[in-house]
Amino acid sequence: MDARRDQMESKRRENGNNQQEHGQDEPLKGTFASVLMLGAFIAVSWIGVFLLFLNRS
Amino acid sequence: MIQVHKTTDSKLSLSHILVAYAALTIGGICGMLQGLVRGGVIELPYGIGYYQVLTAHGVLMALVFTTFFIIGFLYAGMVRTTGPLLPTVNKIAWVGFLMMTVGTVLGVIMVLLNKATVLYTFYAPMKASPWFYVALVLIVVGSWCALVAIVSQFRYWKRTHKGKISPLFAFMAASTMILWFIATLGVAATVLLQFIPWSFGWVDTINVMISRTLFWYFGHPLVYFWLLPTYVVWYVILPKMIGGKIFSDSMARLAFILFLIFSVPVGLHHQLMEPGISPTWKYIQVVLTFLVVVPSLMTAFAMFATFESYGRSKGAKGLFGWIRMLPYGDVRFLAPFVGMLLFIPAGAGGIINASNQMNAVVHNTLFVTGHFHLTVATTVALTFFGVTYWLIPHLTGRTFTKKLNRMGIWVTIIWAIGMVIMSAAMHIVGLFGAPRRTAYTTYNDHPVALEWLTYERVMAISGVLLFIAIILLVISIVMMLRAPKGEEEFPIAEVNAAAGQTPAVLDKWWIWIIILAVLIVFAYTMPFIDLINSGPGSKGWVTW
Ligand code: HEM
Ligand SMILES: [Cu+2]
Repeated sequence: MDARRDQMESKRRENGNNQQEHGQDEPLKGTFASVLMLGAFIAVSWIGVFLLFLNRS
Repeated sequence: MIQVHKTTDSKLSLSHILVAYAALTIGGICGMLQGLVRGGVIELPYGIGYYQVLTAHGVLMALVFTTFFIIGFLYAGMVRTTGPLLPTVNKIAWVGFLMMTVGTVLGVIMVLLNKATVLYTFYAPMKASPWFYVALVLIVVGSWCALVAIVSQFRYWKRTHKGKISPLFAFMAASTMILWFIATLGVAATVLLQFIPWSFGWVDTINVMISRTLFWYFGHPLVYFWLLPTYVVWYVILPKMIGGKIFSDSMARLAFILFLIFSVPVGLHHQLMEPGISPTWKYIQVVLTFLVVVPSLMTAFAMFATFESYGRSKGAKGLFGWIRMLPYGDVRFLAPFVGMLLFIPAGAGGIINASNQMNAVVHNTLFVTGHFHLTVATTVALTFFGVTYWLIPHLTGRTFTKKLNRMGIWVTIIWAIGMVIMSAAMHIVGLFGAPRRTAYTTYNDHPVALEWLTYERVMAISGVLLFIAIILLVISIVMMLRAPKGEEEFPIAEVNAAAGQTPAVLDKWWIWIIILAVLIVFAYTMPFIDLINSGPGSKGWVTW
């Protein structure tokens, strides 16, 4: 209970003049794109070595 | 306000950090020598063996540098988030420090005397002097004092703040030490029950497979013991460095719990090529291994999101405009950030290593060495370097000067370039089949082995570059200890106001520890039953 009140309070406090509040309204498009690119990079590396394995076996 | 630098807590942290950097320096000399020897540039003088140097490098880097730095850093953060250490906690912490230091000195002496040239994995049936194993016990038991200290301090905070969610840093510090404890049970078991009786001559033989399996039961969570504090820096400290907020407290805690759970019952992925363990259990542990992708990608997402929210709050436009808004000119941000970027290829390499078929391609080649020089020696090390530039001034009551910043940026650039070149060479030549853990050899001028030499020369050059970075780092540390007096804060970010509140269940340890225990019992019982009855055991060998 206490914890909840604490968090709500700090939320209220920060709502006042928080610059970041703006950022939160915008969807995190760049983050989404970055995570997809990250996934693609992992997949490509994995497939690369897997092909090497197929080649050698 | 308490003046942190006047307290014995800060001396405690500082002592750990300084021992860590002493280990890094000696380990770095060894690393450079290894590169030069393998590349055929030099031969070791005075009858020093290649494996002797390699043992020192592995032990000092992987075990001593990391453990001392991590514990010193966590103490400082506990003081920052939960208040001064309780008097008994502080005492236990000092006892732990002394034990670990004595253990380190004893272990290094045994290696220098060439009585323990068994590499940091100390695989049986290679048999070192019993005092080497005693040294390992001292280091591990000393680190358990740190566990008791940090967990007691955490529990004290919980007792005195009933119903509140713990500070994120303290939660993460406690999870790190709990992971370490669960992991080190494996080394403690093999060293106390197998190696010590065998090396003192009380028993004649050792069950090699059990000892290796217990080692890797420890060896994989060991890498998470390095990574969790690194993630602490990324989650809790970097947002503050850039002037942003923690993206989500709950997500950070959940990621840590998942790391804890998925990093222990998976050690068999280091033994995929070993006979005597059934493929079924290897398969099960590989599946569990792959689950670590979940908290890893959560972490990647949280980092991108922290940076993007901050950039957008500063008016960044377009899909990637926020990338340009980050404070690259500040080593305290730059070093961990570069570490983060290089964790992308490092992580991709890890997924390759853990895949059974591909493990057959890369196992025991330099590809693996390249992999962990990206993970621990780049990502983790650079993150710790970045921390050092504010932590030592914070602990000693000095200021972080512009000059220090410039030095730090050079260290970061040279280290990153050195490691990228060295690791790339290791990855490539490993895919061509070059084995790890060998001194200079051309295998009777075999054409395949001769092709490897070019890459090994590249490793030699980058090793020298890396050593230059270490020299600059040591100079920086001396400069920090003599910098003008002042106050540097221990940066702890606040949670984003838009993030939801943290469910209390994420702060309840015992639930997660029970789940983990069940998974460990599930993943290891059958393999151990098979191994216990697996043959007569081996007498000891001195191969060096
Ligand atoms: C000056 C920087 C460094 C250089 C030049 C360097 C170089 C090397 C080389 C050439 C090897 C492979 C030797 C072989 O397999 O024959 C090696 C192994 C290793 N390095 Fe490094 N390294 C450096 C820093 C680090 C750091 C910072 C860490 C960890 C924190 C680390 C951890 C290890 C480990 C665990 C091994 C494996 C030892 C073994 O196979 O038993 N290194 N290093
Ligand atoms: Cu592993």
